[in-house]
Amino acid sequence: MLRTSLAVLAILSLSTSLVQAQSAWTGGDDLPTSPLACDGTPATPVAKPYDGGMTTNAPDRNGKPITVVDVPKLIGIGYFDATSKGIAEAAAELGNMTATTDGPTEANIDDQITLIDNYITKGVDGILFAANDPVAIAPVLKKALAAGINVVGYDANSEPDARQWFVNQAEFNGIAKSLIDSLVAETGADASFAIVTSTFTTPNQARWIAEMAAYAAACHPGLKWLETVEAQEDNILSFNQANTLINKYGDDLKGIVGMTSVATPAAADAVTQAGKCGSIAVVGLATPNAMKPYVASDCVKSVVLWNPVDLGYVAAHVLRAVADGTLKPGDTTVKAGKLGELSVINGSEILVGAPFVFNKGNIEGFDF
Amino acid sequence: MTWQKLLRHETILALLTVLALVVLASQSDKFFTLDNLLNQGRLMTEVGLIAVIMTFVIITGGIDLSVGSILGLVAVLLGVFWKNMGLPLPVAIGLGLMVGTLAGLINGLIITRFRVPPLIATLGTLALYRGIAEGISEARSVRGYPDWFFVLGQGQFWGVPVQLWILGVVTLVAAIILGTTVWGRGVYAVGHNETAARFSGLQADRIKLAIYAASGFAAALAAVIFVSRVSTTRSDMGTGIELDAITAVVLGGTSIFGGRGTIIGTILGLILIQALKNGLSLAGIKSDGTIVLIGAVLILTILLSNLFHRNGNR
Repeated sequence: MLRTSLAVLAILSLSTSLVQAQSAWTGGDDLPTSPLACDGTPATPVAKPYDGGMTTNAPDRNGKPITVVDVPKLIGIGYFDATSKGIAEAAAELGNMTATTDGPTEANIDDQITLIDNYITKGVDGILFAANDPVAIAPVLKKALAAGINVVGYDANSEPDARQWFVNQAEFNGIAKSLIDSLVAETGADASFAIVTSTFTTPNQARWIAEMAAYAAACHPGLKWLETVEAQEDNILSFNQANTLINKYGDDLKGIVGMTSVATPAAADAVTQAGKCGSIAVVGLATPNAMKPYVASDCVKSVVLWNPVDLGYVAAHVLRAVADGTLKPGDTTVKAGKLGELSVINGSEILVGAPFVFNKGNIEGFDF
Repeated sequence: MTWQKLLRHETILALLTVLALVVLASQSDKFFTLDNLLNQGRLMTEVGLIAVIMTFVIITGGIDLSVGSILGLVAVLLGVFWKNMGLPLPVAIGLGLMVGTLAGLINGLIITRFRVPPLIATLGTLALYRGIAEGISEARSVRGYPDWFFVLGQGQFWGVPVQLWILGVVTLVAAIILGTTVWGRGVYAVGHNETAARFSGLQADRIKLAIYAASGFAAALAAVIFVSRVSTTRSDMGTGIELDAITAVVLGGTSIFGGRGTIIGTILGLILIQALKNGLSLAGIKSDGTIVLIGAVLILTILLSNLFHRNGNR
């Protein structure tokens, strides 16, 4: 009986895995890609009507004090500490906004949904979120909109109609180009490399990987992708995964791309400990503080990111503008305090800026 | 009725739950509203379904750590059956439930045939089933289910969330089977003293097989409801849910060594945990503080119960 049951299960899993679609690189998503031009000519923006959601019977909050909860993917990591610092900064500057940060202790979608649900019951004026899953979070966000709560996303988007606006830290194709260009600058155009990501379904990482595959195919066709591994935004796991890659591919491995602010320093650490600095390049997304030791020791040459403090700062300003009614569907720009006028892209997203490459020359100027 | 009987674990727990409800209600006027309570019921259904059957498992002296992975596996398969293989959704749901039951049955077979301790057997399948789920899904999520499917996880029936009815029925059936039938007595007997139960002519292995299969089924049912509630499938769904379920069961007074426990205790345990999670959040306590408090409540309740029963009816 056991043998038959196991056999049935094995056949099921085999048969089902065959019908799955394959993408260029594992860990990328199936959405259409729009790689930038190889020489960096900016793409012309396409006008698109507002596709965000609407609140139902929201009270008039214009100029009135509002309470806002910020629900990041998880709490207790440097990146989201930086975004909540930016939110707090904006709230202090605005004066009529109270913001608290409360998120799940692990990047778990179910905990995040429950948390947001509780805040809807509690009754807040606004919700800022960074989604652990774009679709799974949508029902609870729609519930918030239906309760008249202003909803603005940052860092990781939901389905567009489940929130009003989304603050986009940098466009996916821009980040993808920066990462691949930095990699090629170090390893040459015919090198083999591997990717360490959080999970294959994490929306941002999946988007970046898909865009990287598209950009590499168009501009650096000699580049050889070996494998993508999952590391859950977990320090130890990221280190182990990077270590496994180094041992598995030996001299073939010329570069590791870290897709999360946890994976990149861990990969740099693994390369340092393996004594492979100089022969394996590490590029990736990371916060400067975590990367300073490796940049100082020349093991890492370039770190790609945006400024998460600015991201939180803009998110808070956008929420205030929506609550005040000064940011309406159809607007093409929004004022965000000290960062000035920012433009609206993709219908209902606000673009913070171009990605930033930290290197030995500039990294000491940043502290987050 | 003696003083000892009055202080049964369930009574202590019920008092604690009422106390918690009163205190939490005084902390936030949003807590004790019908909307919130029903909504909390919606959120605790998946853990509840698993915990009710987990009560049986633990009463036999066993444990099932693989339920979270079965949930993930069935969720992924549901999407694959429906989207990639093009089966009608009801058939996909039926197949998903079958796979879940089969996965539970395999746990039972490993435990009864090969005498592998349940902790180790299900620790193994915890990794195995999750691995299969991740392998099959290739980290792709399936979305875009038809609207009628969301009734299960997001709809209402007579003003009460649909899944709460399901939990109610499962709980009732489980309580009747465990509390009033001969088969239910057999479950306690196996947990108390398996050798004695065998010599008394009870088919201990059959009982265990049925229970582990039921546990797999409960996890599969929870998976279907979960997918309907969040409207997408992910292979990491249900990670850690086994620990939430076991916490509720143990808080409910079921002895981890087997032979003792009730469904009503488990339900009280569930309600207490959910009320604490929700109420503390509404009262403005952050989520890291809440989990600390839940841990403390678990230990405190067990200590209290043991204090009254030191020379009592255990």
